[in-house]
Order: sequence, then structure tokens, then C-alpha cells
Amino acid sequence: MTEVGDARRRVEALLTELPTEGGDLAFEQPWELRAFALAVAAYHAGQYDWSEFQLALIGSIRRWEEEGAPEEDAPWRYYDHWLAALETTLAGAGALAGGELDERTATVLANPPHRGHVARTEPVAVDPAVSPA
Amino acid sequence: MTDTSTTSPLPLSLHQRSEAEIAARVKAIESIMIEKGIMTTEAIDRLAEIYETEVGPQLGAKVVAKAWSDPEFKARLVANATDACAELGIGGLQGEDMVVVEDTDTVHNVIVCTLCSCYPWPVLGLPPNWYKYPAYRSSIVRAPRRVLREDFGYDVPDTVEIRVWDSSSEMRYWVLPLRPAGTEGMDEEALAALVTRDSMIGTGPPASP
Repeated sequence: MTEVGDARRRVEALLTELPTEGGDLAFEQPWELRAFALAVAAYHAGQYDWSEFQLALIGSIRRWEEEGAPEEDAPWRYYDHWLAALETTLAGAGALAGGELDERTATVLANPPHRGHVARTEPVAVDPAVSPA
Repeated sequence: MTDTSTTSPLPLSLHQRSEAEIAARVKAIESIMIEKGIMTTEAIDRLAEIYETEVGPQLGAKVVAKAWSDPEFKARLVANATDACAELGIGGLQGEDMVVVEDTDTVHNVIVCTLCSCYPWPVLGLPPNWYKYPAYRSSIVRAPRRVLREDFGYDVPDTVEIRVWDSSSEMRYWVLPLRPAGTEGMDEEALAALVTRDSMIGTGPPASP
């Protein structure tokens, strides 16, 4: 048993209690993986019971369904609900204050991490080949 | 305990956000949590690492295997990686301007982001942590051959030139490695299994059959 395998099994034990679409938790976008890890990390940090996260996730999915599963305006995406549940439970735990998240998001959007990195069309380094003696 | 079933943001408002806004929102949550000492980057990285294989680089491997099998596709890939990947339904944020650099018998390519961590994630998934570290970012430019040998155990023959390409947000390079010997007759699926993430960064060879 590897350490990673153990950690994975521990996380998977939590995941079995969650609603999934066809049991599929696979990620399509990096933010989904990050949101996934954040929710588990916050739980490990004692911010909430896993059942609270579970309820929030179920609640978000239920509201989407009650809106008539509006595929056109809001196509089904599991991690949209995951993120909604994360925000709800963190707010419930007092870890996120109202408005704080919107403000920080605006800051992140205003400061793209790659600003100032100019495109270069030639190699930045070349280690030349040495002709065989 | 709060009643979490009634306080969620409305799903509809969530769906009206762009992909970039959602990604920024997740990043914002992370930075607030770290700032408040609720969790550490290491803890989040650790959890993400366990699952990160699910976001790639199997997509890149699929592209490489197709290029190895189909010369016309390879020509299109080298000419315009973004369009060629789109043919396979692969693309997205940070993949808008991908450039594939092709390894040959005389040239080996390696990618780095000298400034931050620009990376073609639609094909390679998330960058490994070492890719983001200053140590790799500076040393691979200074002494590529030595770094590949000493840090990655990858011995590029002296008769092969090494080119290091700087991935930026406008120019996201990745490597089309050489098809390994002894793979004649293998189908794309079998070939894709040989393509490692490091072989598409240029810090390792593809696996042998």
C-alpha cells in the first residue's frame, strides 16, 4: 500500500457519500481539480462536517433541477455545483465573509499571472551538438 | 451548524460566469483560505496531486500517438497545434496559442516558463510543481544538457542539439517526442500509453514498448 494510495482511499471514502452523475468525478478543467482539493482540504482543516458539504452540494443540484434543468442557460456541470457548495459551507463556517470573495475575485481577474511575459519565437537557450570525434 | 441547503448561491448565477471568472473565483477562495491560515498551499497541492492524472496529460498523449501514426496529422500539428488539437476536440483556456516543437534525430526540445508557469494545460494537464520552481526555470536555461542528466536522469546524446523554449501566455510550447524504436505496428491506443508527461515537456523520453 502506497502513501498516495492510502490518501486516495481516504478521500474516496468521503466521495462515496456524494451525489455524482454516473459516478463520474473526472475533471475537465484545472479549476475543477483545485475546487475539489479545496473542499477536501477545508474539511480536513475542520471547517465543516462532510455531511454539511454533502447537503450543500445536493441543495445546489436540486435547485438546478427545480429550475427545470435549464440545459440551454445552464448546462449540467457537476463542478459548478461543487463550487457553489464550497462557497456555501465556507460561508456557513464563517471562513468567507460576504463580499470578500467577489472582491478577491475581481483582484485576481485584474492581475493575470502571466502579464509581462513576452512571446518569444526562438529558443531561449541552445546546447549545441558536439560532432563525434 | 447552518442550514446549508437554503443558502447556496443560485446555480443560474454561477452558469452565467465565464470560464475565466470561475477559475479566478476558485483561485480567490484559495488565496483567502491561505491568508487566514485555514489551510496551506502544500495541503491543497497534495490533494490535487493525488487526482491530477485525471486532467491530463492523457490528452496530449493521444495527440502525440496520432501524430506518430498519421503523417498528415503530424504536418498539421506542427504547422498549427491549436487547430490540430481542436480537430480532436482538445482545447480551452491556456491552450489558445499552442506551438508544438518536434524532436528529431539531431534536435531535442525542452520547454520552460522563465517567468511564471505558462503551460499548455489542455494537452498536458496541470504543471508539475518542479516546473513552477525557480530552480528549474533558471537552471534549464543555463545548462540544459546538465540539468536533464543530473536532475532528470535523462541523458541526451552529445550529438543532439538541445533547444529550450520559453512558454508564455501567447506562445505555449510543448514537445512532440521521437517515436520510440520497436513500436512498428502498434496502434494509437498502445502508442499513447508510451507517451509520458515529461516526454512532452522534454525532460524525459517516452516509455519503451
